[in-house]
This record gives sequence, C-alpha cells and structure tokens, in this order.
Amino acid sequence: MAALQEKKSCSQRMEEFRHYCWNPDTGQMLGRTLSRWVWISLYYVAFYVVMTGLFALCIYVLMQTIDPYTPDYQDQLKSPGVTLRPDVYGEKGLEIHYNISDNRTWTSLTHTLRSFLAGYSPAAQVDNINCTSKTYFFQESFGAPNHTKFSCKFTADMLENCSGLTDPSFGFKEGKPCFIIKMNRIVRFLPSNSTPPRVDCTFLDMPHQALTPLQVEYYPPNGTFSLHYFPYYGKKAQPHYSNPLVAAKLLNVPTNTEVVVLCKILADHVTFDNPHDPYEGKVEFKLKIQK
Amino acid sequence: MRQRKLEIYSVEHHAATDIKKKEGRDGKKDNDLELKRNQQKEELKKELDLDDHKLSNKELETKYGTDIIRGLSSTRAAELLAQNGPNALTPPKQTPEIIKFLKQMVGGFSILLWVGAVLCWIAFGIQYVSNPSASLDSVYLGTVLAVVVILTGIFAYYQEAKSTNIMASFCKMIPQQAVVIRDSEKKVIPAEQLVVGDIVEIKGGDQIPADIRLLSAQGCKVDNSSLTGESEPQSRSSEFTHENPLETKNITFYSTTCLEGTATGMVINTGDRTIIGRIASLASGVGNEKTPIAIEIEHFVHIVAGVAVSVGILFFIIAVCMKYHVLDAIIFLIAIIVANVPEGLLATVTVALSLTAKRMAKKNCLVKNLEAVETLGSTSIICSDKTGTLTQNRMTVAHLWFDNQIFVADTSEDNLNQGFDQSSGTWTSLSKIIALCNRAEFKPGEESVPIMKRVVVGDASETALLKFSEVILGDVMEIRKRNHKVVEIPFNSTNKFQLSIHQTEDPNDKRFLLVMKGAPERILEKCSTIMINGKEQPLDKSMAQAFHTAYMELGGLGERVLGFCHFYLPADEFPETYSFDSESMNFPTSNLCFVGLLSMIDPPRSTVPDAVTKCRSAGIKVIMVTGDHPITAKAIAKSVGIISANSETVEDIAKRCNIAVEQVNKRDAKAAVVTGMELKDMSPEQLDELLANYPEIVFARTSPQQKLIIVEGCQRQDAVVAVTGDGVNDSPALKKADIGGAMGITGSDAAKNAADMILLDDNFSSIVTGVEEGRLIFDNLKKTIAYTLTKNIAELCPFLIYIILGLPLPIGTITLLFIDLGTDIIPSIALAYEKAESDIMNRKPRHKKKDRLVNQQLAVYSYLHIGLMQALGAFLVYFTVYAQQGFRPTSLFHLRIAWDSDHLNDLEDNYGQEWTSYQRQYLEWTGYTAFFVGIMVQQIADLIIRKTRKNSIFKQGLFRNKVIWVGIASQIIVALLLSYGLGSITALNFTMLKAQYWFVAVPHAILIWVYDEMRKLFIRLYPGSWWDKNMYY
Repeated sequence: MAALQEKKSCSQRMEEFRHYCWNPDTGQMLGRTLSRWVWISLYYVAFYVVMTGLFALCIYVLMQTIDPYTPDYQDQLKSPGVTLRPDVYGEKGLEIHYNISDNRTWTSLTHTLRSFLAGYSPAAQVDNINCTSKTYFFQESFGAPNHTKFSCKFTADMLENCSGLTDPSFGFKEGKPCFIIKMNRIVRFLPSNSTPPRVDCTFLDMPHQALTPLQVEYYPPNGTFSLHYFPYYGKKAQPHYSNPLVAAKLLNVPTNTEVVVLCKILADHVTFDNPHDPYEGKVEFKLKIQK
Repeated sequence: MRQRKLEIYSVEHHAATDIKKKEGRDGKKDNDLELKRNQQKEELKKELDLDDHKLSNKELETKYGTDIIRGLSSTRAAELLAQNGPNALTPPKQTPEIIKFLKQMVGGFSILLWVGAVLCWIAFGIQYVSNPSASLDSVYLGTVLAVVVILTGIFAYYQEAKSTNIMASFCKMIPQQAVVIRDSEKKVIPAEQLVVGDIVEIKGGDQIPADIRLLSAQGCKVDNSSLTGESEPQSRSSEFTHENPLETKNITFYSTTCLEGTATGMVINTGDRTIIGRIASLASGVGNEKTPIAIEIEHFVHIVAGVAVSVGILFFIIAVCMKYHVLDAIIFLIAIIVANVPEGLLATVTVALSLTAKRMAKKNCLVKNLEAVETLGSTSIICSDKTGTLTQNRMTVAHLWFDNQIFVADTSEDNLNQGFDQSSGTWTSLSKIIALCNRAEFKPGEESVPIMKRVVVGDASETALLKFSEVILGDVMEIRKRNHKVVEIPFNSTNKFQLSIHQTEDPNDKRFLLVMKGAPERILEKCSTIMINGKEQPLDKSMAQAFHTAYMELGGLGERVLGFCHFYLPADEFPETYSFDSESMNFPTSNLCFVGLLSMIDPPRSTVPDAVTKCRSAGIKVIMVTGDHPITAKAIAKSVGIISANSETVEDIAKRCNIAVEQVNKRDAKAAVVTGMELKDMSPEQLDELLANYPEIVFARTSPQQKLIIVEGCQRQDAVVAVTGDGVNDSPALKKADIGGAMGITGSDAAKNAADMILLDDNFSSIVTGVEEGRLIFDNLKKTIAYTLTKNIAELCPFLIYIILGLPLPIGTITLLFIDLGTDIIPSIALAYEKAESDIMNRKPRHKKKDRLVNQQLAVYSYLHIGLMQALGAFLVYFTVYAQQGFRPTSLFHLRIAWDSDHLNDLEDNYGQEWTSYQRQYLEWTGYTAFFVGIMVQQIADLIIRKTRKNSIFKQGLFRNKVIWVGIASQIIVALLLSYGLGSITALNFTMLKAQYWFVAVPHAILIWVYDEMRKLFIRLYPGSWWDKNMYY
C-alpha cells in the first residue's frame, strides 16, 4: 500500500498529464491514437444519430396521436383562471396604487387598459360575427371560411363607461376606476347550465375595517359573460376568438386606505375555492387610491 | 516493621525516585508528574536490558522489594498497582465514537452536499435581505440536503457500529486468575491485579499471568508458540542458562502457557512492559493502511465529484453569461450537483459490504472492518503462518517403523482410520510400550467426547502418543492399570529417554517389563537386539543401517522421531518383591530389545492442500512464514502444496546434481526456503528480487520484525498482502498487512486485536472463501455503481436543457432525491446478491493500480450510452404529458421565462387555452412525476442489464437472484406510493400520473436491454477487439 500513498510532486503530476495529453512513444493523444479517436468518434456520431432519429420518430408518432382541435386531457384546467387589467403586481399579488392628483401614477394604468382593449376594436373584430342568442353557441360543423368555426364579436364599446371611448381616464381620475375582468379560455368549457356567468366584486372582509359594501357598476350590464361566447373550440377552429370581458367600475372606494377587492365569477362550473390557486375563478387585488 | 524493611529495600534501589516520592507524599503534588516521567524513563531502560535472569534470588528480593517466602504485603501490592497500573495490555486506541460519526458526516459526497445546502441557505439569505417575502424553496432544499447527509451519515455509522459490536462481543474474555503469595498467604486474585515483585505459583494448564522469573520449578514445560510460533514444549527451571532473556530457562513470558509441572516465580514485568506487551505495542505502532476498496471508493468519489463540480461551474458560468440572475445560477449549480451526486450510493456500498461480511461470517470469516471485505478479493499474496493455520497445531503420529518397514498413520483431523498392518507381533510390543511409557493422562469426565477432542494433561508428544494408542488399543488407562507401574524415570534433557518398569498383565508371567522411549540414537545405543516380526534378533550392522535409513527418512520429513525399546527383566534376578530405585537405577538399561521408531508431526489440516491449490489457480501466491525449523517448514509446505511436488529449491538441485549450492543456476529453482538468519543479511533489494523471482517461498525461523519486513517487501511488489497468524509474534505483520487474519480459536488476543479479520474455525481454507466473496463483491459493486451512475445523466440533462433551451423544468431537485434515495436504493443493494458470472477463482487477482472499481469504460458506458438513452426516454414521457395537456414540444422551447412568471395568469397553450400560474405549476409537477416515472421504468431495465457485464442475461438466469425482483417491486411500489399516495401533498411535488404514462418509457427500456445484450454479444464474440476494449467495464 505504501506505493499507492506515495505523494507525487506537482511537476511529476504535470509531466504525467502532459504525457497523457501527448504520448510521443505511442502517438497517443489523451490515451488514444488519432485513428482510434476517429473510430470512436464515428461510433459516437452514428450512435447519437440513431438515438436522435429514434427519439424524433417517437416525437413524430406522439404528434400524430395528438388531436389538433381538442387537447387529450383537460384535467388540469377544470375551472378557468381569472385575470385583471390593469395588472400591476406587488410583492404578494396584484397591487394597484395611484394618486388621483398625480396623473403620472395612473396614466400607465389607463395605458395598459387601452392597449388591452386595442384587440377589441371593431377593426380587430371584423372577422367575427354578431351574436345575440342568450344560449350556448354550439357549432359541430366548420361553417366559417378556411375550415374554421365562427366566433362572436366582443367590442370595446360593450363596456360603455369603461370602454375608454367615453371616458379616456377609465374613471381613474375621479377615484372610480374601471377594472377589466377576463375569464381564461378553456376548450369546450361550459361555465354554467343555463344562466350566464356573472362577475361579482366585493371588498374582502378585513377584521379591523368597517367598510360599507362595495358599490360596483358592471359593463356589460349585470356583469355577465354572454353564453354565446361559449364553448370555445380552440385556436385552430376559432382563430379570431376573443374572450368576453366584464368591466367593473368601483364607485365607493375609500381614499387613502388600502382595500382588498375580490372579484369572483359566479357560475355553476366555475370554482373559486381552490386553496392553492388564487386566480382560479376569482381575482383578488389590493387597491389604494390617494388623494 | 515489615513495611519499614520494604521501604529500605526500595530506597536502596530507586534512591532518587523514592526520596521524591516521599516528598510527594508529604503533600507536594507538583513533583508527581516529574516523578512519573522519571519512572517511565527508568522502566524503559529496564526493558532494554532485562537482566533479572542473571540475578540470584537474594538480589531479586532486593531489587523488587519482596520476600520469596512471604510475598508482598497487600498494601505494598496495592501501592504498586496504583503506580504501574493493572497487569493487562492496553487495548488499541479506539477512535472516539463522535469522531467516527463526524467522519461519516463529512466523508465522501457529504461535503459536496453540505456545500450545496449552505449555498441554498446563503441564496435564501440574500433573497431575504432584498425581499423579505422570498419563497422558502431554497431553504427547504438546503434543509432536505442537510437531512439527507445526516441520515446517510447516521446510517453508515450504524452499519459500522453494528459490525464493530460483533467484534467487541467476540473479544470479551473470561478474566484470568492467578495464584499469588501475599502476606504469607496463598491467594487467588485476578491476574490483572498482579504487580512486580509478586510471588506467583503456576501449574500445568495455566496461562502465564506476567513475565516471571522462576525461583523453583518441578518438571515445568511451557509452550512459547504464541511468542515464537514454535510449538515445541520447552522446559523451564530456575537456572540461568543463556545470556539472552528470551532463551534462558528461568524466565517465562506473559500469555504463554504452562503445559505441565509446577513452578514458583517472581513477577518481573507486568502489562505493557512485558515482552508480549512490547510486541503488541510494536503492532499498534504500525499505521493502519487504507483498504484497497477505500482507495477505489475515494477514486470514484473524486471522479463523480469532479464531474459534478466542473459541470456545475461550467453551467454556472453559462447561466451567468445568459443573463440569468446570479442567485438563480447558484440554484442551478446546486441542482446540477445534486443531480450528479449519487446520494444513496455510499450507504448502498456500506450495506453491500456488510451483507458480504455477514455472509463471510457465516462461512467462519469474521471481518472487523467492513472495507476489509473486499481486500481479500484483491489479495495477490498470502503470507501464512504455519502452526495452527496450515497445521492442526497438535502433534500427531505420522509414521511408524518396525519390522524394517515404514507404516503411514492417519493424520487427518479425526484420526480414526488407522489402516496400517497391525497383525505383526512387533506391533503388539510396540503398542504396549507406547501405551505404558507415557505420563500423559486424559482429563477425567470427558469420556463422551471424541478422543481427538479430549483434553490431555501432558506435553504435545505424549498427548499424541496417548491419543494414538487410545484410538488403536482402546482404554489406555485400563491397560496401565492392568500393568502396574513400579518405577519410572521421566524424560530429561541429559538422559534423553524416558523409562518405566511395569508388572505385566499376565498373572502367570512374573517378569517385570521395562519400557523405554527417547531420542532414537540414544535408544539404539542401549539395545543389542531388535524385534522383527515379533521375534528378537541380534542387532547386526545391516539392521543398524536400516534403522539409520529410516531415521533419516522420517527426520527428513520434518518429523519428530522417537525410538522405542523394551526388556523383560529376568524373574530370577528381579523377583516380585524387588525394590526398584529410580535414583540409583538398580536395573539394566542396556542390551535392551529395540522395537521400533515412531515419528510425529503437527500435520497439515486436511482442507489446506485444496485451499492452496485454489489460491494458486486464482493467481494468489502463498508464502509460508514461520518461526519453526526450515526442515519442518519445508515438509509441511510440500505436503500442503505451497511448494509443489515437482519444484525444487536451490539446495535440492545441488543435492540432486551433487554440486555445490553456489554452482546452481538460481533461475532453475522455483522454490526457496529462506531462514531468518539469511533474511537478516539481505538488503531490501535482495528481498525484492527473492520475492519476485520465486513463485514458491518458505520463510523459516523468522522473528516478528522479520515478518514485518517480509510483508513490506511484498507490498513493495504492488501486491495486496494478506497475512494469517495466531501468535503475538504475528501481530505486527497482521497489522501491517493489507488484511490480517487472526485465528479465532488458537489466536492470541494481541493477534486478534491487530487483525482485520478473524478466521473463526482457524482454517486456512476459510480464506479462500473470503477471497471468493471479496472478488464477487468487487464485481458486484462495479455493477451497483454502474447502475447508480447511469441515471445521473437523465437527472442532469433536465437542468442543462432548462438553462440552455428554456423548457419548463422537467424534474425538480427534490424529486431527484426521491430517485436517489427512494426507488434506487433497494435495487442497487440487490445487485450485491448477484452470483458470479464465471469462475472468479480462475482469474488473476486485480491489479490494484490498473483494475479500478470505476474505470473509464464504466463511466463512459453508463453516462454516454445508457444514461443518454434514459434521458431520451424520460424526455419522451415528459413531452407526452405536456403535449396531451396542450403544450406541444416545439412550443415549450424558450417558454421558461413566461412559464415561471408568477404574474402571468393567462399563458396560452397551443390550443389557445389560458393557464394560470398555479395550473402551470401543477402541470410542471405532473411533468416531474412523468420524468421520474420515465427514469424509474428505465432503471428497471438498467437493473436487469447490470446483472452481468459479459454474459447474456439469459445465461445468468433472470430469476436466479430473487432479490433483484424484490428491488424491482420496491421501485414500482415506491413510485406508486409517491405518485398516488403522496400525490396530494404539494410540498413533495408529485401528482397522480395517468396510468398510461407509466408505459411510455417501456419501449426505451426494452431498447436499453437490447442494446446492452448486443454489447455483451460482441464482447463475447470478439474478445480483445476494439469493442471489447471500449465497452467492457
């Protein structure tokens, strides 16, 4: 064992390493001669080409089994998420702070809303049809051009006072801000049995805050998502589909205090009690309006 | 008054120290230290020149302040005991348990994982400072890593401790007692309490309790084999006969045994200061060497840690260059390290080793140090002691010569098959002499025990003769009773014969029978006739010549030869009433009738020749190292095959060709017998040359130091050396050897302490079993490591791809730990149960520098072939899950930033569906689970292919190793539990995976199997080819 424990000097080790890198006696580089290196490289190239080919084949087969219109599984999207515009995130979720008297604090918010609503301009919605039905808009066939299905129009003007058309400041200026609530798309998802899903915003109960109930003006009226926007048939079938929106104009937000507003979607098949997901079926945000 | 006197004696002798002692007693404690130091110095000097054997009784009394008749006073004895400590060998220094534990905590990969854990905490700390609500993920990860290290550490420590405990219980001994005279009274006290100056009495059968200067002795014989390795009994008396304390007759040594007779003596050295104590401390002075497997594991840890750290740092740099946040880059670094380090492997290795240790213990090979299990497997030289290891350690009758003919006696262990011709009348006479002229007796109360196992009071030769005649004649005691002994002269070294006169059992025959045995030449001198075929004939020249030929022949076999003769005393001269006197010898002791010769040897164990042959074919050189005579050593070596039948030593050649030894070409000789004297004059280079050039070597007459030199010489040849021995004289060599094996039954405690392994049945052939198991475990550890390393690539790729290509993370760090410490543990242990692929005892021992446990081929094949295939298979499962949920593979690339953003709650998939952050998170966990299951399924294939390295799986048998299937079942069960049982616990990041995803990787698993079968096929078809060189690990 003594031999194994012999401490080699650094220069010896370097010499050994150099010898390993290039051995002039046998013509070996890094333990192999050049031709050996070529052979082994060829083997590895071949091996990896074959393996990559096999993998590509597997992926190809996988893709062949995938339905282009409907995902195979939707078990992880049982209930749609809900998002809010404007969306400014603080340390813990959405936090919207602005000062009425300071324009700069809310122009970015209204700007977000405006650019979001740009997708809902009549020009953007030109390919969609007008729907008036109060029931689900089922389409089994591909009636629309290019083998697609029809999508219903949703234009910004449906949001009336919160459309930014009548009030470019979206109510931020007078302390009655508009928030736009969007429900996430899920292919072939039917939110409820008969009544259209409705947005309901309230103050979240804070133990030490005695607040008067939140007064909200919803657009479209009643804060409903009309059933004719459902079901969604997926991107390939409905390339021009745009989500229906609900705008909530909060009328009595106390100034100079931080309040928590919770907007739920009330529908038979939308759940908002998943403890892990704060955005499932509801959206919660902190709001502080300063004067 | 008596006390006073004692004081005076000591003052006279240790004047200086005693004055100081008095001062100390007067209260000045400061002097105590100096006093102790002085005493130590003095004792050291005393050790170096032991001259007590030269002193007269009076001088001894003065020197040790004692009284030969009355002994020490008990107060004085207590004082001395307090001063010098108990009379016991200091046990070898134990590493404190806490150090052992801490070693487990920082050894191997642990340090790497600690670094990972600490980095995690630091990363969190930095995050926390900038953002107090930072997620606790990295704290969890750091804690999990720390827990993993601590748990594996505790586990390894527990395993070690368990095997140490077996040893501890084994080593526990019954406390020894000693008869001592103190305060003029005989007392029995534990031998530990003996002090210098005590007067002790010893009798046959006792172990000598300390180094003792004999004051008087009656027929005392001691067995110094534990000191010198020589089992010949040596007589002891109170006379000073030799300058050398080791040779003189009036000193007996600690831990040797008194065979017969009684003696009284004075204790001159106790505990560690005894000769044995000094040899034992010589052994503890020899450093413990690292075991070969420890070196291999270290090498392997270096490789893996090197890969882990370099890949980690490389990707850290890449990540930083790709504008990742430094903290994220650190987390990647940790993940890469975790992915690369097989956390469970070292624990697995420990278990595999302890399983083998257990298996070996069952085969009578008890291994003290787990790592030593493999050492036997890599052993290339075994230096074996002769007595007790190769031989039975008891004298046995081997040959007889009567009627001018040599007869062979059975020397096997049970000895019951004495098949030589017993019809001759000479034999009748001879057997009578053997039975009668013998003082040995069976210990009463053991009649039911087989003859060979009964305890006999008497020396080795007499014991052998007694047992021999008991086997052949039946109840010897009864025969002796019938032939009443009237007088006897015991053996002594001047007469060199033993004689007794008996009444005959035939009531009509009133003659006395004189029987005599002794050194053959002395017996022959006393004879004028010889018995041939039961008839007396004159002893003529030709008969004398025949006698000499037989004597030389038996002596040449290394056997101890005794001659036997008898004489019927004429009834007229010696009537029944005649009074015999042993002092004046008033009876004839010449012109007797020579009956025969009988030779004895300590015969080899019956299993040894076979074991030696096996070692040979396994490429292991067996060297005999003994303290015994060269002739005996050579004879035993020849009979067990250490010197094979057709090889000759230089001396043999010289004798055969009738030339001088110097003229013989040394290359012609295959064997060599080297004595300690010759060895003394050799330079290390000469010894190296000797060891390298002769395949068959016997060292005889060697001292403990020389055994050490021989072992070191062997180690210089790059050999892994195993040493077996039982005596204290072997213990330094046992310690120095890569693996020392002590004899469990006859072995001395010093030897057992120094050894790494204990042969419970004292059988050399147990070593062969050990070698086999050691080699098997080496092969199997290779398989285990190959199995464990393979998945590292599959674990590593996700992170690399995550960093470079921005896919949602395929597998989380914690999930990885569940593979390393969950599903993979039992399967990797199961490989330790794998049977050998081919006859592992027919190949050369591995070269400790060339045949590594983890070689380049193993690493490359595991990482770049199977590992890569596994990674692809696991990615396929991952992509399948994502694609079926709406994210096609192509859309996943560079999705990372959006995917990982908590603030994006409407991420669109390929179907236009929108995902919240948590929904994506959950999908990511499903991806983890899928990837995990993908790896698990392919690890099953990996486990099956690792069963063999060369043979087809089908040749090895898929179902022969049942534990493998337990392993596979455990993998599946653990995975099912994690997915379905704990799938709802979010912290573990597992989800319930759909049943069909468990099968996605199966084609890949089959591919792995087919690919590996192909590899093995080509290795078998084209041995030595390019393929073989690159693909065989």
